[in-house]
Amino acid sequence: MTELVITDVIADGGRTTGAPPRARRDRAWLGLLPFFAFLILFLFIPAISVFRNATNTEAGGFSFSAMREAFTGQNLEAFKFSVKFSAGAAAIGVLFGTLLAYAAATATRPRWLRNLVTAFSGVAANMGGLPLAFAFLSLLGRQGVGTKILNWMGWELYAGDFDLGNVTGLIVVYSYFNIPLMLLITLPAIDGLKQSWREACANLGGTSWTYWRRVGLPVLAPSLLGGFLLLFANSFAAYATARILTDNSKIVPLRIAFFLGGDVSIGEDAVGFSLAAWMIIIMVVCMSLYWMARKRAERWQS
Amino acid sequence: MDPNFQNPVELLPIDPEIGGQPTAPTGLAPPSTGRPRRRFGRLIPNLVLMISAIFFLAPLLTLARFSLQNVPTILLGWDTLFKKWSLNGLTKAFDDPAFWPALRLSLQLAVGTVALTLGLLLPTAIWTHLRVPKARSLIEFMTVLPYMIPAIALVAGIKIIQPHARWFLNSDLSLIPFYVILALPFTYRSLDAGLKAIDLRVLVDASRSLGAGWGSTVLRVIIPNLRTAIISASFLTAAVVIGEFTIADTLLKETLPRFQATFTSREPQGGYGLNLLALLVTIGLFITLSVLTKKRDPKRKSFARMAADAASMPGNPGS
Amino acid sequence: MTNLTYVSVRKTFGPTVALEGLDLDVKPGELISLLGPSGCGKTTALRIAAGFEFADSGAVLVSNADITRTPAHKRNMGMVFQSYSLFPNLTVANNVGFGLRTRKMASTERHHRVAEMLELVQLTHLADRYPHQISGGQAQRVALARALAVQPQVLLLDEPLSALDAKVRATLRDEIRRIQTELGITTLFVTHDQEEALAISDRIGVMSNGRLEQLGTPRDVYRHPASAFVARFVGSMNELPATVTGTRAVDVGGHSVVVDRITQHDGASVRLLVRPEDMRVVADGGLPGTVTTCTFQGSATVLGVRLDRLDVLTSVHVAGVADFNPGARVEVSIDGERAVCESLS
Repeated sequence: MTELVITDVIADGGRTTGAPPRARRDRAWLGLLPFFAFLILFLFIPAISVFRNATNTEAGGFSFSAMREAFTGQNLEAFKFSVKFSAGAAAIGVLFGTLLAYAAATATRPRWLRNLVTAFSGVAANMGGLPLAFAFLSLLGRQGVGTKILNWMGWELYAGDFDLGNVTGLIVVYSYFNIPLMLLITLPAIDGLKQSWREACANLGGTSWTYWRRVGLPVLAPSLLGGFLLLFANSFAAYATARILTDNSKIVPLRIAFFLGGDVSIGEDAVGFSLAAWMIIIMVVCMSLYWMARKRAERWQS
Repeated sequence: MDPNFQNPVELLPIDPEIGGQPTAPTGLAPPSTGRPRRRFGRLIPNLVLMISAIFFLAPLLTLARFSLQNVPTILLGWDTLFKKWSLNGLTKAFDDPAFWPALRLSLQLAVGTVALTLGLLLPTAIWTHLRVPKARSLIEFMTVLPYMIPAIALVAGIKIIQPHARWFLNSDLSLIPFYVILALPFTYRSLDAGLKAIDLRVLVDASRSLGAGWGSTVLRVIIPNLRTAIISASFLTAAVVIGEFTIADTLLKETLPRFQATFTSREPQGGYGLNLLALLVTIGLFITLSVLTKKRDPKRKSFARMAADAASMPGNPGS
Repeated sequence: MTNLTYVSVRKTFGPTVALEGLDLDVKPGELISLLGPSGCGKTTALRIAAGFEFADSGAVLVSNADITRTPAHKRNMGMVFQSYSLFPNLTVANNVGFGLRTRKMASTERHHRVAEMLELVQLTHLADRYPHQISGGQAQRVALARALAVQPQVLLLDEPLSALDAKVRATLRDEIRRIQTELGITTLFVTHDQEEALAISDRIGVMSNGRLEQLGTPRDVYRHPASAFVARFVGSMNELPATVTGTRAVDVGGHSVVVDRITQHDGASVRLLVRPEDMRVVADGGLPGTVTTCTFQGSATVLGVRLDRLDVLTSVHVAGVADFNPGARVEVSIDGERAVCESLS
């Protein structure tokens, strides 16, 4: 077998280092062809088509008019609604997720508590779509057990505006996976807060408040910001749960689906695609910021 | 003695109660814990945990109740609480003729997606690590792209192409490649992390120097060492595929989630029961996964981290 | 002038007794090392001084002021932790100035003091770096500067060198001692490395199982260990089976050795602990044995000698360069003046 190794080396032009020679390296990129081809075919082409159709006019030319129209009137309302709602859901998720993560991270007894919380969060964070929607319908829907209990306690849930498909309702439902997701992301960051920092701060004369203000929260800030961005993107793009809970197209994903449904005239479908295009743009911005925040957070976690 | 050494007492306002006056050494001070009120600090976290427990368990409980108890909410009271429970609700779905094909399709899609994912990504990941290390950051970037194109936008693009590729998109199984894309960020990173942890280069060199060919090396050396990464990637992908709704719904493919939606509007209790079942199966998958991947190697991702990555996949959750 | 005093300090963690009535007085300007294996209570003692643990009973005094129940952030002590204690989100300069900001020092004065401290540890050029950009040794020096910036009454060091490379450890150790003497600050230094303790301490407190076994100068602790534990822990010891033959003599393999401190009764079987440098190769009249190894260490040679009648492997120091082949026959004499007699139970 030494022969094989030697021949390889000789074929490499007598090099003995691990790096293959230039020609071989360039050819090696060919091995990635299947992967790139797959991505192009099933990801890039659909994505680019969206942008192409968003900027097409009936006559076949290029125009931003659809993109602009996607940002006016009812569509603008949908965007505003989606953004407001996603930001709200993200904020709630960040707040409670972090609190919960802190509670779980600092729990010393019983010892299985933290693992239980983490495991459950893993399941809950991935729960979504239909079972979640139906579960909440059975809890807080008009015929829900929770609604009934609240009525009995004196709180008429449906007396006012409340509906599971409205902002408040959706935020409550989305919190079911947003909070655990935030917990899973923040837990490592909280673990990374070393006890010696806490003690050093006290030793130097700082109180608990000083610690959180000058060390704890600043160190956690990238994780918190990243978490917010992730939850925002998650809430913005979620479709299935909303589809079950509300019929009208108040949020952008539902609106896109409405346009895709086929009940629209030819010219109008460019608007639908523009909505999708704008959505992609928003997501790109959001996820890029998230990525940067996460990189920064990881730097301090070691 | 340093002349600049001021009396530090002046720098710090000392609590007048303690340490201000020199007192004679007390000898044996009375036994006391002298501990600051740290116990109080656990009150709020524990409260948070309890309230969270209620919030997270309640929907599941009511879902179960609705599925398993045949008493409408209006009539629900202390006297009817324990009446009319049965497993009927769970199995109603099985009687519907549209159920089994939908289930079968979803299972096929799950298996197909896992197979295509592994078949595409394993060689790519291994090849990248071994032959084209420079491509790693490019590939990592590409696997993040699906994050930025949510399922609903992706399916919009698919609909545009539909007229041009009817022969392909007509088949139900055409969902598979798109599901692979959806799962890409998570699955690739899982395999990549697994490869990083096992020091691929060294293993391959050792294997080849002992006479194994490439096929043998991959089958007998690389894959067994990637077992956990492969298992977790497969399980989580399967869980996501079985629950995916957005793309299937828009393209009108009769998968299990689509069936769940329409069935529930026809048959509420049966529908809820089916949803409950689906939930239990997903939970079961997760439990099996975490049991199979008990954290052995500190370099490997923990279950929590994997679950977080899976949850942040585009099209999940709420997809 | 500050001294740090422990008066019968006792601390338990559940069923474990971490400290059993510690009495210790660190004199003004003195550096005392608490030396001992893991779990001996040295770190607990230090943390009680810092205020991170509170004594179950007893008192801690700083210059006769009782601080036993003062919260940590109100004590004016400087502490250097074992590792990773620098705040990662602050620059080196801001880390050093942290305690000054807490005390609301004006910013110009603060900058001045920070610069002074950085110069003291010779790290002025790193002022604007972040902790993840500097090495472990540099980080510990910054930690020291940070602790000293507030001009504490007492300096506490919790195994500050354990996490560092051997080479860095030696230089940093001397630097800490230099700074400590220069500033004249009362210091408590915790370590499990006896070489460190011997090198820099004014006095060493050897601890085991929550108790202070011996408190004395490095020389005292080394040459006159108060117990078998201390004898073994500080420096190395040969262990020879022996029998007590009188109030000041034991019999080792047929030879009588004069030993100063014998607490066991006549005829008792004991273990005699003898330092390698108290055993010598003699021309005759000593215990016969065979050389197993001969290791040249520069200023001395260490011989491994298996003594015949006792079948015990011993370490014998021979000054300078000596050449013994494995297998050579030698005779070894024992100087029992500083030996320790240990009961066998």
